[in-house]
Amino acid sequence: MSACLAAYGCITCGDEAISMQVLRVDCTRGLALCCDPAGERCSVEIALVEPVAPGEMLLVHAGTALGREAPGTPLGREAPGTALGREAPGTALTREAPN
Amino acid sequence: MKFVDEFRDAELGRAVAAEILAAVEPGRHYKIMEVCGGHTHSIYKYGVDDLLPANVELVHGPGCPVCVIPMGRVDDGISLAHQPGVIFTCFGDMMRVPGSSQSLLDAKAQGADIRIVYSPLDALRIAKQNPGREVVFFAIGFETTAPSTALTLRRAKAESVANFSVMCSHVTIVPPLRALLESPDLRLDGFIGPGHVATIVGARPFQFLPDQYSKPVAISGFEPLDLLQSVLMVLRQLAEGRAEVENQYARVVPWEGNLRALEIMSEVFALRPHFEWRGLGFISQSALRISDAYAEWDAEERFSVPGVRVADPKACQCGEVLKGVIKPWECKVFGTACTPERPIGTCMVSPEGACAAYYNYGRFAREREVA
Repeated sequence: MSACLAAYGCITCGDEAISMQVLRVDCTRGLALCCDPAGERCSVEIALVEPVAPGEMLLVHAGTALGREAPGTPLGREAPGTALGREAPGTALTREAPN
Repeated sequence: MKFVDEFRDAELGRAVAAEILAAVEPGRHYKIMEVCGGHTHSIYKYGVDDLLPANVELVHGPGCPVCVIPMGRVDDGISLAHQPGVIFTCFGDMMRVPGSSQSLLDAKAQGADIRIVYSPLDALRIAKQNPGREVVFFAIGFETTAPSTALTLRRAKAESVANFSVMCSHVTIVPPLRALLESPDLRLDGFIGPGHVATIVGARPFQFLPDQYSKPVAISGFEPLDLLQSVLMVLRQLAEGRAEVENQYARVVPWEGNLRALEIMSEVFALRPHFEWRGLGFISQSALRISDAYAEWDAEERFSVPGVRVADPKACQCGEVLKGVIKPWECKVFGTACTPERPIGTCMVSPEGACAAYYNYGRFAREREVA
C-alpha cells in the first residue's frame, strides 16, 4: 500500500481510513500484517489497539490502527442503546435486519 | 467486501431516502454541515446528495487537512526541503499544494530531495537508512493522523534516531467549528460529525454543539448508507426539537475515544497558542506543536524556518468554500483556471477538498444546486 488507491481517495492524506483484517501479529515489533478490502497486504502499527488477534477488523490510517471495527451492519442490530438502537422498529434501518 | 458492500445497498439507500423525505418540513430549508473532507468525497462519489430532498442542503466544512494549510506554511516546508542534506518527506497530497512561488512538486523538479510517504513511520525508516542525512517529515492532519506522528516520534526517541525531525502542522477540529458558529454569515441547522477524528477523540468533544449552540450532531461513518442515516438522524432531532450528539458510527467510534492514543498525543504534543487556517484566519489553540520533551525532534527548533505569512491569491475563494459560504462552482476560477491538474487553491488539490470532489464527480452545473 505505497500509493493512492483511487477507490478510497488519497489514503496518504488526511482523514481517510480503511477497514483491514488482521492476518498475523508480531507482538515483539508491535506490528500486524493486515489485508485491505482489495486484498492488498501491509504491516500496520498496532500500539494504539493492542492486543489484537488474527481475524479482527481494524480501522487503519497512515499505517496505524486507530481502533477496532465491531461486527455490524447498516441495519441497526449492532448497537442497541446507541443512536442506531434508538431507531424505531419498522424503519428502513431496522426492519430488514437479518439475524 | 466485509464492512463495505452492506453499507452500499442501493435498495436500502432509497428506503432511507424516503424516510428523509418524510422527516423534512415542506417549505423549510435545512443546512447541514459535513465537517470532514472524507464525507464530502463520499457524498459526491456515491451521489448521496441526489437522494436528498431539494430543501436539504449539505454544506462542506473545513475538515480537509490539506485545504486548511495556509500558503506560508507550505513555503516553510519548501524552504526546509531546499536546505542542503535534507530529505523532506510528506504525504502525497501536499506535493501539489501551491506555495507563494512554487509547490513541493516544483521544488522536487528543481532537485530538492522530496519523498512521498504513506506513513510517518516510513519517514523514520528513511532516516535510519540514511544516517548521514537529515530527514524531515511534514506532519499534517487532524486528530486522525496525529497519533501516527506521535507514535513515530516515540519510536524515534526510543531508538535515538537523531537525524529525524517533524515539522508539525497538525490541527484540531473543535476550535474551527466554534469559529464557524460564531461567523455571522453562516446559518447551520446541524452537523454530520467527523467519524475518523471521533475514533480518536470520541463523541464527547462534540457535546458543545448541542449544549452551547443547540445544534444536533450525528457522528457518521463514510459509506453512503452511513451518511444517509446520519442526515436522517439530524433531521429527526430537528423535527423532534432535540439537540444531541448521536453516534451513527458506533461500530468504530467509542464515546470516550481511544484513550491510549489521547495519552500518547498529550505526551508528544502541546497546543499552539494560535495557528493560521486558510480562509478562517488565526484560531486560538487550534493546532499542535511538538512538546518540550520531544523538542530534539522538532524541525522548527532544528532548522531556521521563515514563518512568513502569505496572503491567498485574490482569484481563489477557498476561504469562502471552507466556511461553507459559497459552493465550489461559485468560485470565479473553479474548473477554468483552477483544476485538479493545475490547482490555484488547496480545495482543488486533495480528493477530500470540496472543489476537487465537485470537479472529479462532475458537479459543475449550477442547475443541480438549485433544482
